[in-house]
Amino acid sequence: MRKLTLYARVILASAEMSVRETMTDGFVVFGIFVQPLIIALLGLWMLRDRGGDYGIFVVVGSGLTGLWSSLLFISGNSITHERWTGTLETLVGVPTPMGVIVLGKNLANVLQSIGSMAVSYLLASLLFGYPLTVAQPIQFVISLFLTVVAFVTFGLVIAPIFVMNPDVQRWQNGLEFPIYILAGFLFPIALLPGWTTPISYLLAPYWAAQALHLTSSGGGTSGEISIAWGMMLLFSLVYVLLSRTLFRVMLRKARSEATLGLE
Amino acid sequence: MRSVTLNIRLFFQGALLSYVALFRWLSPMTYLASKVLMPLAQILFFSFLGMYATGQANASFYVIGNAIQLAAVSGIFGVTMSIGGDRWEGTLPYLFGTPANRMAMFVGRAFFHVLDGMVGVVLALMWGVLLLGLDLSHANPLALGLTILVATFSTSGMGLLLGCISLITLNVMFINNTVYFSLLVFSGANVPLSTLPAWMQSVAWALPLTRSIAAARQIIAGGSLAEVAPLLWMEVLIGAIYILAGYFLFRWFERQAKLRGTLDIF
Amino acid sequence: MAPLNAIEVRNLRRIYRTTIGVIRRRVKEVVAVDDISFDVAPGELFGLLGPNGAGKTTMVKMLTTLLIPSAGTARVLGFDVVDQADPIRPRIGFIFGGERGLYWRLSAIDNLRYFASLYHVEPEIARKRIPYLLELVRLDGRGQEKVEGYSRGMKQRLHVARTLLHDPELLFLDEPTIGLDPIGARELRQVIRNLQSEKKTILLTTHYMFEADALCERIAVIDHGRIVALDTPEGLKRHVRDLSVIELEVYGIPPELLDVLRALEVVEAVTVENRDQKQAVLVQSPGGSEAVPEILAALSGLRVGKVIVREPTLEDAYVRLVGGEVEP
Ligand SMILES: Nc1ncnc2c1ncn2[C@@H]1O[C@H](COP(=O)(O)OP(=O)(O)O)[C@@H](O)[C@H]1O
Ligand SMILES: [Mg+2]
Repeated sequence: MRKLTLYARVILASAEMSVRETMTDGFVVFGIFVQPLIIALLGLWMLRDRGGDYGIFVVVGSGLTGLWSSLLFISGNSITHERWTGTLETLVGVPTPMGVIVLGKNLANVLQSIGSMAVSYLLASLLFGYPLTVAQPIQFVISLFLTVVAFVTFGLVIAPIFVMNPDVQRWQNGLEFPIYILAGFLFPIALLPGWTTPISYLLAPYWAAQALHLTSSGGGTSGEISIAWGMMLLFSLVYVLLSRTLFRVMLRKARSEATLGLE
Repeated sequence: MRSVTLNIRLFFQGALLSYVALFRWLSPMTYLASKVLMPLAQILFFSFLGMYATGQANASFYVIGNAIQLAAVSGIFGVTMSIGGDRWEGTLPYLFGTPANRMAMFVGRAFFHVLDGMVGVVLALMWGVLLLGLDLSHANPLALGLTILVATFSTSGMGLLLGCISLITLNVMFINNTVYFSLLVFSGANVPLSTLPAWMQSVAWALPLTRSIAAARQIIAGGSLAEVAPLLWMEVLIGAIYILAGYFLFRWFERQAKLRGTLDIF
Repeated sequence: MAPLNAIEVRNLRRIYRTTIGVIRRRVKEVVAVDDISFDVAPGELFGLLGPNGAGKTTMVKMLTTLLIPSAGTARVLGFDVVDQADPIRPRIGFIFGGERGLYWRLSAIDNLRYFASLYHVEPEIARKRIPYLLELVRLDGRGQEKVEGYSRGMKQRLHVARTLLHDPELLFLDEPTIGLDPIGARELRQVIRNLQSEKKTILLTTHYMFEADALCERIAVIDHGRIVALDTPEGLKRHVRDLSVIELEVYGIPPELLDVLRALEVVEAVTVENRDQKQAVLVQSPGGSEAVPEILAALSGLRVGKVIVREPTLEDAYVRLVGGEVEP
């Protein structure tokens, strides 16, 4: 129990620290705010002919693009970033498990991205005058919560993988738009060739998009929504279990190969 | 005469330098991926979004727009990188200490990226043909090639200007990314310009790419070189204006830095 | 039961493997720590002294659980550094010399608050302890400023404050004064003396002889990963008490001649120092001035200027132990 309080405190401290540290970082500000806002603007314009109902669809979808990009580039680099700062050795040497620290940092990113979704909501309603109503507010909030959980835990999986394979990291650019497409953030995956559908089903972002779109735009049956929620929970669980192993392997590897520092 | 050969040599050395610098950043495999796969993902995303919005029939509108837009990847990111690189490497004071012709030094840096950008656009159009049913059978190849050249030239001009700004500000990537994404809106790659508010249309016509994209669409629809010539000439002019602006900013920056002794800080 | 020794190192080794070459990859092995054993008693200030590359940092990283030894064992506060890292971490503090390892965009206080929570320091305790620590490392009044504006010395002192947040019983200070100007280094040494008076166990590494002499109760001199001497500062000086140092002024000397000197019966160690246009060959010899003719004979043909015979200093003791290649 005491351990839980301690860890909760570390998570909050890491999140706060991460926000403070990245607030002035142009790269982060762009990834979290500018890029999703431009995509929202573009989406609103492009989908304008489809009528006002698409306002909320674009707001949610562009918000998801921001969530994914910041997860990929910022959370994915969170351990590598500490290595550059020279703080990684200290972080490994503290009594708090590394995963707890990374969790706090991921939480900050994901919450910041959700914040940017709120900004694009305002933009759409004020600038474009769309009536932005959320069809099922309570279910939407639950979906949002599960989305946060799924993305934060996914961040726990990619950070150690990216650190251990510098080459993977260089390919992260190549993971950005394909997920936008396959997860159906801004258009239904029905537009895509059929063989891609199973891939989508294996992506937590797809289920997040599914749950958020269904509960905000409306039209989803409670069965569909429950499946999306269940899949997100399932993936989160898998990610947490996977990340425990990954962190153990990563730390062991770093301690035996002396790769904590930059030298 | 001697000065001409000197400047030509300087020009190609700059070109070579930025070429080498690019490959130090990216391994050949990653370069290939960034040249072949990444553009595909971006084109697919916006084309699907566009088709979802306005129907399958309009696919080529989005494919062409986004393919030409890719010229900006080399033009903006590549060029700023090769100029900003000096700042990170700390070689700026040495450059400013040389008697070299600044214009040759400066434009040489952009040269390789123009070639690189053209390859990118051609590959992107190939993807369009292969995957999204783009039909190039009516296009005049010479006119299309010229349009691609002009598009990369003018975005590289913009890249030079941004590169000089990057010597002054710290957040290079922030500016570059923002400009690149804004071009997705303003260049007409994804929205017909006529549907934008008047002030946005005026901005659009002052930017590179807008005319190239319009010209490329006309050519692919069967238009002749003569029909798009006015667009292309204007695009060249715009590129030249950006290069000049960048050049003067560079000179101004050099003078300021020498006056205030801030060469090392930047 | 409290362990008898704060640190127990037995036959510790660490080998680094690096691959060199891009096309024809070859594996290169460096033995950074080679079969080292020593103990540190609770409350002791123990020094590891050695030139750059001797293996000091590698040693400290293994003892702070950040690096896994290739062979041998090490126990810190009674716990094994490989398998029992968890109980060790809250009880120790460590700093690696240099200014990296802090969040430069944050203020000193924010840095300290963050690390306090990572070390599980209760918030109320941290609130009281941070101002106290800032005062201890003479950063009081500067705590709100961003670390990026700090001088190198201030950053290194902030590291000291950082590592004291959780009041560890055992401290590892790896070249804490590296790169500081003489005044900054003196201030930091004063801080270390204060810690010593608080009865903390400290393992300090340095490549400055005088620093080890001024601070440490016992010194292990290491070179090429091995301990070449382990004694009190006085004991180390005794190593050279029976020797004299003969300084010969020369104008360039071929390396073969140095080897000829080293081979002489009356010569214990030879080093060369650059002095403006000239060089000084420092020869340690038990014979004193009586050895001078033999040495000059060995150098016949070489132009030799002034010759001085003097008493050895601590520096000479160090030189004798680690061979000729130390920096002045
Ligand atoms: N991560 C590493 N990979 C390969 N070799 C290393 C690494 N770290 C240190 N070394 C080598 O190990 C030796 C000891 O280094 P180090 O422990 O840093 O010495 P010191 O701290 O005494 O200067 C040196 O030869 C150094 O080059
Ligand atoms: Mg060291």
